[in-house]
Amino acid sequence: MTAGIILLVFGFVILSGSALLAICWAAKSGQFSNITEGAASIFDQDEPVGVPTDRFPVKNSQ
Amino acid sequence: MNSPSLLSTINPATEPDKLDSVERAEIDASTRGPVLLFFGTAIFWLLMGSLLGLISAWKITNPGLFDSISWLTFGRLRPAHLNLVAYGWAVPAAIGVGLWLTARLCRVPLLHAKLLISSAIVWNLGILVGLSGILIGDGRSIEWLEFPAYATPILFIAYACISVWTIIMFRFRKSGHIYVSQWYLFAAFLWFPWLYATANILLVWQPVQGPAQGAINWWYAHNVLGLWFTPIGLAAAYYFIPKVIGRPIHSYYLSILGFWSLALFYSWNGMHHLIGGPFPAWMVSASVVASVMMFIPVITTAINHHMTMKGHFEALNWSPTLRFIVFGAVSYTVVSLQGTFMAIPALNSITHFTDYTIGHAHLGLYAFFTMIMFGSMYYIVPRLVGGEWPCANLIRWHFWLSAVGIILMVGALTLGGLLQGLALYDVASTFRSSIEFATPFRVLRGISGFILMGGQLVFAYLFVQMLLKPGSQKKSPAHFDKSDNSSNDSVAI
Amino acid sequence: MNKLPLIFVGIFLTFTSAWIGLVAYPTLNLANVEPIPDEETGGVLPPTTSGMAIAGQKVYASAGCMYCHSQQVRWAPLSTDIAKGLGTRQTVARDYIREKVAFLGTMRTGPDLSNIGVRQTDANWHHLHLFEPRTVTEWSIMPSYRYLYKTQKISGQPSNDAIQGLRGPHAPKPGYEVVPSVDAKALVAYMLSLKKNYKLPESPEPTAK
Repeated sequence: MTAGIILLVFGFVILSGSALLAICWAAKSGQFSNITEGAASIFDQDEPVGVPTDRFPVKNSQ
Repeated sequence: MNSPSLLSTINPATEPDKLDSVERAEIDASTRGPVLLFFGTAIFWLLMGSLLGLISAWKITNPGLFDSISWLTFGRLRPAHLNLVAYGWAVPAAIGVGLWLTARLCRVPLLHAKLLISSAIVWNLGILVGLSGILIGDGRSIEWLEFPAYATPILFIAYACISVWTIIMFRFRKSGHIYVSQWYLFAAFLWFPWLYATANILLVWQPVQGPAQGAINWWYAHNVLGLWFTPIGLAAAYYFIPKVIGRPIHSYYLSILGFWSLALFYSWNGMHHLIGGPFPAWMVSASVVASVMMFIPVITTAINHHMTMKGHFEALNWSPTLRFIVFGAVSYTVVSLQGTFMAIPALNSITHFTDYTIGHAHLGLYAFFTMIMFGSMYYIVPRLVGGEWPCANLIRWHFWLSAVGIILMVGALTLGGLLQGLALYDVASTFRSSIEFATPFRVLRGISGFILMGGQLVFAYLFVQMLLKPGSQKKSPAHFDKSDNSSNDSVAI
Repeated sequence: MNKLPLIFVGIFLTFTSAWIGLVAYPTLNLANVEPIPDEETGGVLPPTTSGMAIAGQKVYASAGCMYCHSQQVRWAPLSTDIAKGLGTRQTVARDYIREKVAFLGTMRTGPDLSNIGVRQTDANWHHLHLFEPRTVTEWSIMPSYRYLYKTQKISGQPSNDAIQGLRGPHAPKPGYEVVPSVDAKALVAYMLSLKKNYKLPESPEPTAK
């Protein structure tokens, strides 16, 4: 029972601490500014916006 | 992979930029071993888990089936089914998709492949031990946590490796901006060990007293869905929908808002499984309120996905990935709104304790999560093995068997559950009538199980074919023609 | 836009609040419920359970009874549990302090068992029911638990604990008898111990409407 409580408190401190750090870091490094630019970050020169990247395999392949 | 010293593999270093396509092909190739191992074992357990589910579905309408075999009794098959599909299939599938997405979004080749491969082996060993434990009668009868105490540390160790790996990859990332999928992935990879450890400590190693277990049990069980499966499924949807149709997500701001409101409201949801139970009223009320607040993340996500897809729905004809993922994304909206309604006490008093809940669970884990995993695999696997899927028609069969099967299953359980619930609620009605109302729908559910398994067998066949002899090999790093969307076969359903 | 970090800190703290509310709170408060003295008999409430009944909880978990049977009587305004005779009052935290695992359950594929020890007081009925549910309830969809029983040849006197009243195809051959294993006896002891018919101050019996 007491071991359980100690683990809980320990876990709480570590987890909330690290989550707060993560948020502070995110804010500092500008993750929350220019928020709309992020949407384009999965596209690049070879797979640009406007080009689909998946389709059913063509029939003659087998 | 160049890994000279241990220090240089856990501390980021800079490298000159490469051509995007070459870099992407390198990253994809680096994930091949671990991702295919996770996918392969996941598909194996999916078939096993579904088989156990199918047997238990038939046992409920034919109680005499295998009734002298202790390890095939319903009360063991059902948890075995749940744990196999949840921890044998869904978690490794999520890890596989998560690994691949993490490597791609961080724009670094996958590091520490050996660690991941050992983690996959240890994880599957844990599943095997846990499954045997349940079948020989060591199951703990704590929903979602049935694996006996000797299996869970194995799983935890295997999982911890993945979490550490995510942090390392995150440190090494080259992309400056963190795409929304990464938010979801990173959070999910760190939430899960927290959930799993808390639940195991308080329910197994230092069991708390009586009903407090119920609260922790459902805090865990609901958060596994909400803070692990859902974020991974949404991470995949947020990546693949824009990527496949070649159009950025409609509102990036909404997607981030969706992420944080999900984290906020979902975590409070669990107690709606225990409405009316032996708990202080405020705990249940908080869960009901949070369940209603789930409207916010769900609607933002639904609007965002719909607006992204708008004008591109014809893409469903030519992209297998998109077809599965859009089915999953729509199911996410449906299942979440249904969940909200189910938490409203007046409705809950009818649907609670009935097959309706089972239908809801399958809508979430199959129609939403599993379909998104299938879709992701259709995108990822060709890029790992370097060739296309062998047969378009089999993919279509897989899709339609899955779609029809799951709609039939959820429909049957929902209707049957409602009738069952009304009979259980009505003071004038007998218990017998609650069984009689539900029985025809349970038979229908058993049939839908066969249809779903048919789809899974088709997929397993396709996957094995891909491992043995991938279709048309291409030399260019991107395995798909970029322009050829209007060829003859692409219009067929 | 630059207010966002602040919003997120708020959101994060609320997320942790769920953990405090749904995990830490029940661990610290809900899990330290003590039995109370029974004014009438001088014993304690809820009454202590026998070793056999505690062993039976393990069999209950191992067989997975919980997947079809709940063990909770919900509060009256939002359920008809009391009107349907599942119990005379709502079950509360103190009712479960004797249980290693509180089998609250989430399904009523089968009936609620909070008060099965009040409704069915005969051990032989339970053995019959577990061995072949359809001998006592013909429309039952409960699986048989005959793997908890042994059919053996009667040597000399029939055993005291052999199941009485097995009929039809399930009756043992002449000269044979069906006896429960230790597990079956423990499970039945547990069933008989499931009674919430004592009074607790925090859960008054609702007055009849």
